[in-house]
Amino acid sequence: MQKYKTYAAGYLFLLPWLIGFILLYLSPIIASLYLSFTKYDLLTAPKWIGFENYKTMFTDDYRLGDSIKVTFQYVLLSVPFRLAFALGLAMLLNQGMKLLGLYRTIYYIPSLLGGSVAISVLWKQVFDKEGIFNQGLSFIGIEGPNWIADPKYAIYSLIGLSVWQFGSVMIIFLAGLKQIPQELYEAATVDGASIFRKFSKITMPLLTPVIFFNLTITLIQSFQTFTKAFIISNGSGGPINSTLLYSLYLYIKGFTFLDMGYASAMAWLLLVIIAAFTGLLFLTSRYWVYYSDGRN
Amino acid sequence: MLNKKTITGVSLALTMLLSACSNGANEPSKESSASQPAASPSADSGKKVELRMSWWGSDERHEKTQKVIELFEQKNPGVKITGEYSGFDGYMDKLNTQIAAGNAPDLIQMGGNIKEYVDKKALLDLTPYVGNVLVLDDFNGGYVKAATFEEKLYGVTLGVSSTALMYNASMFEKAGVPLPTDTWTYEDFKTSTTQIAQKLGKGHYGSYDLSSDAASLASYLGSNGKELYRDGERHFDSQDMINWFTMWDELRKAGAIVPADVQVANPPTAVDKSLIVKGQVAIQSMSASQIFGFQELTQDKLALSMYPNGSAGSGMVPPISGQFITSYEGTKHPEEVAKFINFMVNDPEAGVILGSTRGVPPAGKIRDVLSAQSTPVDKVLYDYISLVSDTAPAVEYQQFPLDNEFIKLLQLTSEKIAFGAQPIDSSVNEFMTELDKLLVKAKAQ
Repeated sequence: MQKYKTYAAGYLFLLPWLIGFILLYLSPIIASLYLSFTKYDLLTAPKWIGFENYKTMFTDDYRLGDSIKVTFQYVLLSVPFRLAFALGLAMLLNQGMKLLGLYRTIYYIPSLLGGSVAISVLWKQVFDKEGIFNQGLSFIGIEGPNWIADPKYAIYSLIGLSVWQFGSVMIIFLAGLKQIPQELYEAATVDGASIFRKFSKITMPLLTPVIFFNLTITLIQSFQTFTKAFIISNGSGGPINSTLLYSLYLYIKGFTFLDMGYASAMAWLLLVIIAAFTGLLFLTSRYWVYYSDGRN
Repeated sequence: MLNKKTITGVSLALTMLLSACSNGANEPSKESSASQPAASPSADSGKKVELRMSWWGSDERHEKTQKVIELFEQKNPGVKITGEYSGFDGYMDKLNTQIAAGNAPDLIQMGGNIKEYVDKKALLDLTPYVGNVLVLDDFNGGYVKAATFEEKLYGVTLGVSSTALMYNASMFEKAGVPLPTDTWTYEDFKTSTTQIAQKLGKGHYGSYDLSSDAASLASYLGSNGKELYRDGERHFDSQDMINWFTMWDELRKAGAIVPADVQVANPPTAVDKSLIVKGQVAIQSMSASQIFGFQELTQDKLALSMYPNGSAGSGMVPPISGQFITSYEGTKHPEEVAKFINFMVNDPEAGVILGSTRGVPPAGKIRDVLSAQSTPVDKVLYDYISLVSDTAPAVEYQQFPLDNEFIKLLQLTSEKIAFGAQPIDSSVNEFMTELDKLLVKAKAQ
């Protein structure tokens, strides 16, 4: 009895968050599971149709196939590049240079702005046919294509934007690098190890828990990317579905075509996809993630 | 026993909760006390009615509509209307969300898809106010009928308009190409656009790529004795679509129309990016009343033309009510809403402010006031609307159901061909398959 009373205060403090969680997260999630089995046009009451939405998804929606392909392309390219970029910069910043705090802040800014509409609009200008990027290319004699309006390149401008937002990943890497004991490097130096050897035998193994964390978080975020694709393609996912990321297609289905039941079903498929990838990461982690406390 | 920690904890948590609640409760009273003096002294009840109104359009339309709202507020102290305006992109998406959430604006500007929302019971039946608050005596019966479903009135026409080709006459003159005539054909269209592109040189085009434009397609089919849609069916076949896309493909290869990537970067629907305004493209397709928003941004002379004639003559659709002002079914102040609607379409002062920004006004007396002081652009629009009325075959226009999905499908097909990602015949095959699926889906609804 005494035990519960002690907990009561804790739960009371938790209450505002808990209410928010139940009302804004948990109940919509449960509602969407129900809606995924209905035909629901947002304006009239949902009608139960069983597995119809799921059946259509797998058998009769060519656009969903396009969308999944584009999303995988986006995730598989943007995640490794973003991590590599962030790690590289974190290692540079870890050289004990002056004004480190200033640089850290500057490099973090894109991540703060990254999710915003303004940056996507800016990105659109930069990669326009006559944008700054192509003007830069023209100095070295290359006539750049219309990056955002050409289906061959449009997805790469989205990937570029994602890589550019490496800041928060970099900060976590930097913290991880600072945790690695200096004496390991000193000992290696005494033994005459090269920079690359130090990197592959000390830095990488000791950093694997941080890499694992960053990889998981970035992967989940990337699968859910919406704002960039919405703004850059004017909400269309075009040209020719080349920027139709999964979340954007889900939005179009739900709010433009008024197929909210179908959109809910799509959300659950996305959940399954993300869960599968994350699960896979966790399963493989025991073979490549090294915890220095001996837990492996 | 409750220990000290628990009590402190409980009281702290309660304080947080209470302060959160009381904050919320304070808000309205603060606001009303602040706005009280501003409200009319004559309003005995002291209650201030607050309405929201949403519409889409260009800056020019936003400014004019805001002015009319201010005028209405002056004349009706005690009513405050907040405008929620934007471009057309995303307008319907936002509205759908608001309706689903039960907090849609009291006054909603609607387009040709009004019936969809009537079917979904999202709009208020205005019939009880007709004849007392809302006077429509001066209206052409057809305009009232356009928003009447099962003998109930759900909206009031704000303006009559028609689809049109808008062209940059200055570009035609500079290239020495004769202006479009009332009887021009698709052959003439090809010749003119090709000549303009050749004479004005790199970066100039005779026309936007209209292969993705539903109105242009509908008119093309009509001019060949076919029809896009009637009574649940399509009235054309894949050969028509192949002809359509082949025609645009030839123009594309001749350099007469805007290349695909340029078109995506500068979509004809966005006034601020329009290449017509910049004097780089001579022709685009749109609703005739939009000419005001475009003309305001350029020194070049803009004008309107009908779509070209085909083997069966003109495929023009008679002028229709382009936009309606409707009310959300869940509004708390239907009376004030009806009053504002009436003000918007019948008040001469409001009529002068609005001009023809949403097309030719439906009330006869407003038209009389306007024609007395019309600007050159007004005249272009009025002349065009009467020309189309005289020319268009007398068929009743039927909107394609699931219009949003149809437009996206046409756009996708057009882009596949324009970017050379897929040949015409297989693209058209896919288009027809998906189109027929849409028709089946529409029937099931």
